[in-house]
Amino acid sequence: MMRIKTAGISEFFQHQFIRLAQGIVAFLVLILITPTVHSQEIDILLKGGHVIDPKNNINSKMDVAIVGDKIFRIAANIPANTSKKTIDISGLYLTPGIIDMHAHVFHGADVNSISANSPGGLQADAFSFRAGVTTVVDAGSAGWRNFPLFKTQVIDRSQTRVLAFLNVVGRGMVTRYDQQDVTDMNPEMNAYMIKKLHPTILVGIKSAHYWGDFTSVDKAVESGKLANVPVIVDFGEHSPPNSIESLFMEHFRPGDIFTHTFSEHAISKTTGGRESIVDVKTRKVKPFVFAAQKRGIIFDVGHGAGAFNFNQAIPALKQGFMPNTISTDLYNLSMNAAMKDMTNVMSKFLAMGMGLQDVILRTTWNPAQVIKRLDLGHLTVGSEADIAVFNLKKGNFGYMDVGRTKISGTEKLEAELTLRAGRVVWDLNGISAADWQMPASTN
Amino acid sequence: MLFFAACLISQANLQAQEIDMLIKGGHVIDPKNKIDGIMDVAIKDGKIFRVASNIPANTSKKTVNATGLYVSPGFIDMHVHVFAGAEDPGYKGFEISNGFGSVAPDDFTFRSGVTTVVDAGSSGWRNFPEFKKQTIDNSQTRVLAFLSITGYGMVGTVHAQDTTDMNPTTTAFIMNEYPDIIVGIKAHHFQGHNFFPVDRAIEAGRKTNKPIIVDFGSSTPKLSIEELFMKHFRPGDIFTHTFSGNAATNLTPGGREPIVDVNNKIKPFIFEAQKQGRIFDVGHGGGAFVWATAINAMKQGFYPNTISTDLYRNSRNAGMKDMANVMSKFLNMGMSIQDVIVRSTWNPANVIQHTDLGHLSVGAEADVSVFNIREGKFGYMDARGSVLNGTKKLEAELTLRAGKVAWDLNGLSGPQWDAVK
Repeated sequence: MMRIKTAGISEFFQHQFIRLAQGIVAFLVLILITPTVHSQEIDILLKGGHVIDPKNNINSKMDVAIVGDKIFRIAANIPANTSKKTIDISGLYLTPGIIDMHAHVFHGADVNSISANSPGGLQADAFSFRAGVTTVVDAGSAGWRNFPLFKTQVIDRSQTRVLAFLNVVGRGMVTRYDQQDVTDMNPEMNAYMIKKLHPTILVGIKSAHYWGDFTSVDKAVESGKLANVPVIVDFGEHSPPNSIESLFMEHFRPGDIFTHTFSEHAISKTTGGRESIVDVKTRKVKPFVFAAQKRGIIFDVGHGAGAFNFNQAIPALKQGFMPNTISTDLYNLSMNAAMKDMTNVMSKFLAMGMGLQDVILRTTWNPAQVIKRLDLGHLTVGSEADIAVFNLKKGNFGYMDVGRTKISGTEKLEAELTLRAGRVVWDLNGISAADWQMPASTN
Repeated sequence: MLFFAACLISQANLQAQEIDMLIKGGHVIDPKNKIDGIMDVAIKDGKIFRVASNIPANTSKKTVNATGLYVSPGFIDMHVHVFAGAEDPGYKGFEISNGFGSVAPDDFTFRSGVTTVVDAGSSGWRNFPEFKKQTIDNSQTRVLAFLSITGYGMVGTVHAQDTTDMNPTTTAFIMNEYPDIIVGIKAHHFQGHNFFPVDRAIEAGRKTNKPIIVDFGSSTPKLSIEELFMKHFRPGDIFTHTFSGNAATNLTPGGREPIVDVNNKIKPFIFEAQKQGRIFDVGHGGGAFVWATAINAMKQGFYPNTISTDLYRNSRNAGMKDMANVMSKFLNMGMSIQDVIVRSTWNPANVIQHTDLGHLSVGAEADVSVFNIREGKFGYMDARGSVLNGTKKLEAELTLRAGKVAWDLNGLSGPQWDAVK
């Protein structure tokens, strides 16, 4: 025992000595290595910008550090020598990557289809990054029958994060007639697709372009209840128009979404239309609209080619009604008309008097909550580094609505730099790049 | 008497509204017609009706105030890939032909002042009819095309090596079926150490009397561009990706021979080739525009004949971006606005033998680009991601295609919202 113990003691000291020696060596090595490790711990440092991160209540000058594909740190004055690459963004605004909650991106070659596998659906990457957008949510272009094609053909191939509302109709948005086919509205199949097969991509259910009663909405809500997701409704083609008060108060659950909030249709006897939220005679927001928003009904812009009128939006904003989310309804007919792209729609709200923070909230953290993707729409440490850097241009600008009337504005957002998962995917003025006369770099 | 009075009144009304749209007060640059000054442009029935100083606004149904802006023929982007589709060939490659590598034309054109694009060989004679049905007939943009000398177009790098599918006879046959749309033939991405696809394309070009456009130099060792220009090309044939590389960037034994030598001097035969009618096209793309080459070439007095984008998936979000951005690069290298405009209107129109396009002559289809030149601090990236700083940026304000407003950035053509009703 004793010998063993003695041996043990000497071994103990030997061990201690070796440990100590190892420790000293390690310490010396650390001293030598630390400055280099330290100086390169950050991959990209976005320095000197004004950060607006509504979720984290940040609205001030901050530096944003990225390691790999994640947000590493947000603080004032992070030293440039701790980063492999530093991008000077003084004078610019930095926000979470913008979420466009209403787009049509099921691009394909079926020229007879409205937006399922059709040229009517656009290539997401052609419009997203150049407008600061890193996530788009397709609003019902695909139904459960063609969602697998949508996924392999578009979602898996896009650099943009593409999420989707599943159309309540199995075939999605092929023709106007498909949207009337109540036999193809199958809540069990919809819920199965969402809950069992693609819970990380499918965020809700879309009901659109229905001509009849509340069947399409109710089937969508039924699907939504089964899958525990919200529904988004384009209420535009009911003939005669259905009551939006009934939609908000009797059919919708809190969290369900009314899109095309500021549309004003001339209600036609043949094609129907959408009841507007602002009374067309008195120009007052209908009282139940405030009550509905208080109840948790979500009002989404969904600008589109025919769903945004200043004579709805301007009185509504003046009377204190703000939409919950700002989105484009990007598709082939809206892209070159009054809508244009996400920055243009956001700038329109600036021109109508909404503050920049309010605009950013409605395009980042608000849509993230609406689609229950709390991992998105903010710059919390550890979250994926989807970032938009904007220049707020000053000058004389004009903004059109779908009736081709315009308002004037003095500010315009321009996407300077966009990062998706820590990678620069758009750089308008080469602020992340070296001068051409510098020796060839590894960039 | 009453009848006579009625006639007078109706005639007066007719007079007051004889013009559909008047673009007033802009600086018109129309190189073909040698116009370079403040002029009004009147449009009627989708055609240019009149270009003159001080056309009275009360003779037009609608007047757009273009004071402080430039007015030019709609831009022609002579090198794009717009055969967007969903075919997956199962090989790695560009996926340009009916694939994911192409983009949709209307997504990029009007917002940068472009009204005509020329697809550079995305389709071949076997699938051109599908390209037409799927894209050309469904686009607002005027889409013309070079046909690839390979039957299925630019499917991928592998298919570009298939010399058994380079048939001048069938290619010419399809070209003759669509003489107004197909403007020439493309040879591209060939890795063999010979001029086979170029010569096949020229054979098709001879049969149809149309130019060829060549994406040259995928072989190891490099093939001589002097030989290409002087021994194979006819006058009017087109070398694209003109500013793609120099000695510093092109160190591999293979690839495309640069137009500059190791000291960034323009090789003498380049000037000679251009003098003899060889066309040098920019074709910026994702990898084919290097500042050192372009800047040094311009300094030595070498200007490209045509400015184009090579718009496709890999160029759209990188250094290229869009036509307005590429044109702005040339402004910031010191090219005058007039020289930039001629290289994106009347020059490409001539090169593709569409002299109906690229100008504002009375009676021409009213494809019009109204743009502003922003002053400020801007940066421009090349294909390697290095930057030239500049002070000017061309921005498309209003684009008309056949007299119809296809793009209106700031609502120039619309009334104030509260002035209606």
